Amino acid sequence: MTTIDRDASGPEDLQKLHNDLAEVWANPAGLKALTIVNHTTLGLRFMVTGMAFFLIGGILAMLIRTQIATPDQGFLTPEIYSQVTTMHGTVMMFLFAIPILEGLAIYMIPKMIGARDLVCPRLTALGYWCYLFGGIILSFSMVLEMAPDSGWFMYTPLSSSEYSPGLGSDFWLLGITFVEISALSAGVELVVSILRTRTQGMALNKMPLFAWYILAMALMIVVGFPPLILGSILLELERAVGMPFFDIAGGGDPVLWQHLFWLFGHPEVYIIFLPAAGIVSTLIPVFAGRPIVGYGWVVFAITVMGFISFGLWVHHMFTVGIPQLAQAFFSAASMLVAIPTGIQIFAWLATLWLGKPKMKLPMLWIVGFLVIFVCGGLTGVMLALVPFNWQVHDTHFVVAHMHYVLVGGMLFPLMAGLYYWLPLFSGRMPSETIGKWGFWLVFIGFNATFLIMHWTGLLGMPRRVYTYDTGLGWDIFNLLSSIGGFVMSAGFAMVLIDIALHFRYGKPAKTNPWNADTLEWANKLPPTPYNFVSLPTIETRHPLWEHPELPQEMEEGKHGLASADHGRREMWGTDPLTGKVREIIHVPSNSWWPLFAAMALAIVCISLLLRWYPLAGLGAAVAVVFLLRWSWENGVHPKAAPNANVTPGDPPLHSRTMDGPGVWAMTTAMIANGSFFLSYLFGWFYLWTISPEWRMPETSPLSLIALVIAGGALMGGAALMEKSVRGLRKQQERGLAFNFYGAALLGGIQFALILWVMVRANLAVTETSHDAILMVGLYYALLHSALGAVLSLLQGLRVGYRYVGLHAPFEPVVVAYFWRYNVVVFWILVVALAVLPRVIGG
Amino acid sequence: MRERYLYHVALLCIQRAVPQRVNRFMLTLLGTLTLGLTGCAGDLSILDPAGQAARDVVLIWWIMLTFATVVLIGVVALWLYTFKRKYQERTPQEERKIARRWIIGGGILLPVLSVTALLIFGVPTGKRMLPLPLSQPPEVIEVIGHQWWWEVRYPGAEGGEVITANQLIMPAGEPVDFHVTSADVIHSFWIPRLGGKIDMLPGRTNVIRLEADAPGVFGGQCAEFCGTQHANMEFYVEAVEREAYDAWLAERQEERLAERALANDDFAQARDEFASTCANCHSVAGLSASTIGPDLSDIGARYTLGAGTLPMEEGAIHYWLENHQTLKPSNKMPSHNYMDTATLESLGAWLETLTP
Repeated sequence: MTTIDRDASGPEDLQKLHNDLAEVWANPAGLKALTIVNHTTLGLRFMVTGMAFFLIGGILAMLIRTQIATPDQGFLTPEIYSQVTTMHGTVMMFLFAIPILEGLAIYMIPKMIGARDLVCPRLTALGYWCYLFGGIILSFSMVLEMAPDSGWFMYTPLSSSEYSPGLGSDFWLLGITFVEISALSAGVELVVSILRTRTQGMALNKMPLFAWYILAMALMIVVGFPPLILGSILLELERAVGMPFFDIAGGGDPVLWQHLFWLFGHPEVYIIFLPAAGIVSTLIPVFAGRPIVGYGWVVFAITVMGFISFGLWVHHMFTVGIPQLAQAFFSAASMLVAIPTGIQIFAWLATLWLGKPKMKLPMLWIVGFLVIFVCGGLTGVMLALVPFNWQVHDTHFVVAHMHYVLVGGMLFPLMAGLYYWLPLFSGRMPSETIGKWGFWLVFIGFNATFLIMHWTGLLGMPRRVYTYDTGLGWDIFNLLSSIGGFVMSAGFAMVLIDIALHFRYGKPAKTNPWNADTLEWANKLPPTPYNFVSLPTIETRHPLWEHPELPQEMEEGKHGLASADHGRREMWGTDPLTGKVREIIHVPSNSWWPLFAAMALAIVCISLLLRWYPLAGLGAAVAVVFLLRWSWENGVHPKAAPNANVTPGDPPLHSRTMDGPGVWAMTTAMIANGSFFLSYLFGWFYLWTISPEWRMPETSPLSLIALVIAGGALMGGAALMEKSVRGLRKQQERGLAFNFYGAALLGGIQFALILWVMVRANLAVTETSHDAILMVGLYYALLHSALGAVLSLLQGLRVGYRYVGLHAPFEPVVVAYFWRYNVVVFWILVVALAVLPRVIGG
Repeated sequence: MRERYLYHVALLCIQRAVPQRVNRFMLTLLGTLTLGLTGCAGDLSILDPAGQAARDVVLIWWIMLTFATVVLIGVVALWLYTFKRKYQERTPQEERKIARRWIIGGGILLPVLSVTALLIFGVPTGKRMLPLPLSQPPEVIEVIGHQWWWEVRYPGAEGGEVITANQLIMPAGEPVDFHVTSADVIHSFWIPRLGGKIDMLPGRTNVIRLEADAPGVFGGQCAEFCGTQHANMEFYVEAVEREAYDAWLAERQEERLAERALANDDFAQARDEFASTCANCHSVAGLSASTIGPDLSDIGARYTLGAGTLPMEEGAIHYWLENHQTLKPSNKMPSHNYMDTATLESLGAWLETLTP
């Protein structure tokens, strides 16, 4: 296979190779720059947008600190203050922390694993636009003075239409859900990219630790975000239509919202921490000049952290009145997180201990991270202790704790990473002097603000109060915290100035300026859109340390996939475990569809906000058409990869196999979907068993027979899909289109039957939470049967166009996976919604 | 069985013997130190406990703080030391050994031991705070959260249930069970100097048991963000001797309060004004029975107005009636701008007399 022997034979050939690559991967300028799907550009867009939201969130923080600097202040009205605190949390969590880290991962992952792009570039673009539009919509609410004001975790009933009648909560629920499309799409494609597009030979155990962290983060996003999406949809339905999911009188329960929110909210903390810890694990070995100590231990710790973090959410709810046994369990589980954290901190320590650490500017931020994060972790263990939690919960102690964890655990490593990778972004080195000033101002300012704030909390100051009386002993500490806050802002201003200046005055960076070991430094500074002229074969965890000549060889086209005259954007598709090459993955190039689809979704979002439902329906239909058209331009389609010629000796194109990344993307997406579905089941059983005023009818309103027949139709459709896939595997194409149309028809029958059950059930969705949540389940099934039918119908059409067939057997496998998911989920739904109520009764 | 017994004995030792000695020591040492320097005291200070539950938590806090400080300084010092110490060549075997020592010692043993110690110490403390059944049922006080005030009911009062608002009186030296719920959004009931908080949820009743060591006045406040005026949702709790408590309740029997409200003929006009407007939301024993707003039957005897917004003094009610939408913006009481000063003044003066 392709290794070093593929030598570009002369300087002209090499020049042609560079030109070909530049042409195929070109980023258009002007208006057409909006079509760019390349991960380098989009990663930077994500990060710059994230920084903009950081500034907005920071200004909001300064408003808060000004208002409570002294007692009885009238700087902000109570209404505005509630909006400001809510938006500060919302902006920092949803519009800054997660997107900027995703942006960093989007930018860095392909470069680190020796790929040329992420595996679903158009999805990256869709994610970016959804993030940008969602963020703008949400921020615009502040301009209108209609911002959400029920606190960033939107506890209902405060956020319900009765107690928050304005549009504030709607802005939050719709805007955040819109933004979460971006988180989920980034999550899915990062998982698949890391598992399937590592360069040749990069087995899982040779992968840079950063990629492990991002893999964990991405999987956690995929599993962790859906509960909040479900919660937001339910709450918006309650607000807009009056379906009483969280309303006691209607048989709902406000605590269900808390569960759904923290089911997401706690993993979220680790979704933010893990990539930041990944930065730490990347930088420490570089500045210690030796490999990380305990690679296996760290991977173990990451995995454990990922799992444990889903079992901790109740520790945000210790004062709700949860049964004692559950509290004890969640208390112990929360403390257990100290173990994987401890493993990492001491693995880093051991690396420094055994190496020759140098205190460069990025390391300064890492040490700052250590001090602050360890402190935050220790108060975290304290907070996990239930009796202590009962005292300090919802006070400034908790505010201080969480800023220690989030600023220490995320922002400081991020700043370290920013300085470390600056030469990659700009081709220039950061200055050491202004940077140090910035660090010390931020570090001192941060501790002045938040270390003191612990004390304010212990003196009894609750969070989110816009005013307080003098004489409670809080005055001086609040003033000091506010001064600290402004010092910290000055520090960040200095960092920003430093970075802005460096673009002009920074020393040009030489290749691999920090003498790092990972592949991103084999890029040109700044990198080309295709990253690498040729893709290397990796035999070690530290390619650039053990083969310093590698960047030069790659640049000379001496490694894999060193051709672009076929006009495709290509990279390796490798085995997830061993990193053996399995196929060539070709990724789509620039496209308007992501932007158009995001614009249509933005229209849906805005019209739902304004309750213009016909327009929302129209927008949704247009979005679906755009997305289907996008999916149409794939595989053998003239705009994708019409011919399948590859260099002799190279593996086939993924679209000509049955093993492409699409299968993995579908599986990952269905994990997200499954998490959404499980959250729904959780909601159903929670309301059924715990809601105080739950009313269940004597007999189930759902026709079991009709549902069983619908399930039969679904299974028939799925069987036809499986049959076509089996046929393709056996090199038989006969009846392919017929099978697809048959499956589509059966899907249609299932759809009609569910619709009939729904209509016949005559559900009073605004009267009882039982009927309301039942309706949501039926809609879920309805949507899925429609999607399955449409996808199969399109496959049938594509057979006609010769986009699908023996020569291109890839897509039916992906669609068949969706049908499989549908079958499993539908039967679970039938059992939960229609069988169990009959067996157990109301 | 035997192990269990030993375990309990060990626990008792930690629970009883150690804490009291450490407690006294720590509280005097650290307490006076920090009290002197910065002030742990304050109506709402967790660090100035006035009941067993709060005291247990403060003790745990000081121990945890000491331990956490040692860990923090230790870890940071180790990290910083690596930048100063001289580099030594080591064989891979030696490196592995050192690495294992750090990771297992620091990454696993340290957290496991600390967490275990914390749980052994903390879980029984938490258990002691639970409202478990007692041989003599404790006094029950019901508190209902409203946006943004507190409705308080004493179902155990001898002559019949007593209803009041924004003030709490409890017997000192005995456990009291607070049964809390909410009439609208989620609030949280918290008297920091007596113990932890408990959320007040609509549709549910939560119970928290608190005990005041001795008579005294303590601050309380809403701890769960409940809307714009969350900041002005405070109350005072007064712990008194049992006899005083019973007497206080007896004074607040409806007929006694009604007698008082109707007694003074000087305020007949104010009473009429009240009956035609205020009575739509407020109740005063003998005059009205609406429960939309706080009960005002003994308002003259309260410490504050507007759930902690304004201290109660002469003329305060009149001032409040004229300015409450600026003092506590967005509160649910409509503005009284349309009423003339004289009426408001007489209303205020009359309400001030409503004290048992």
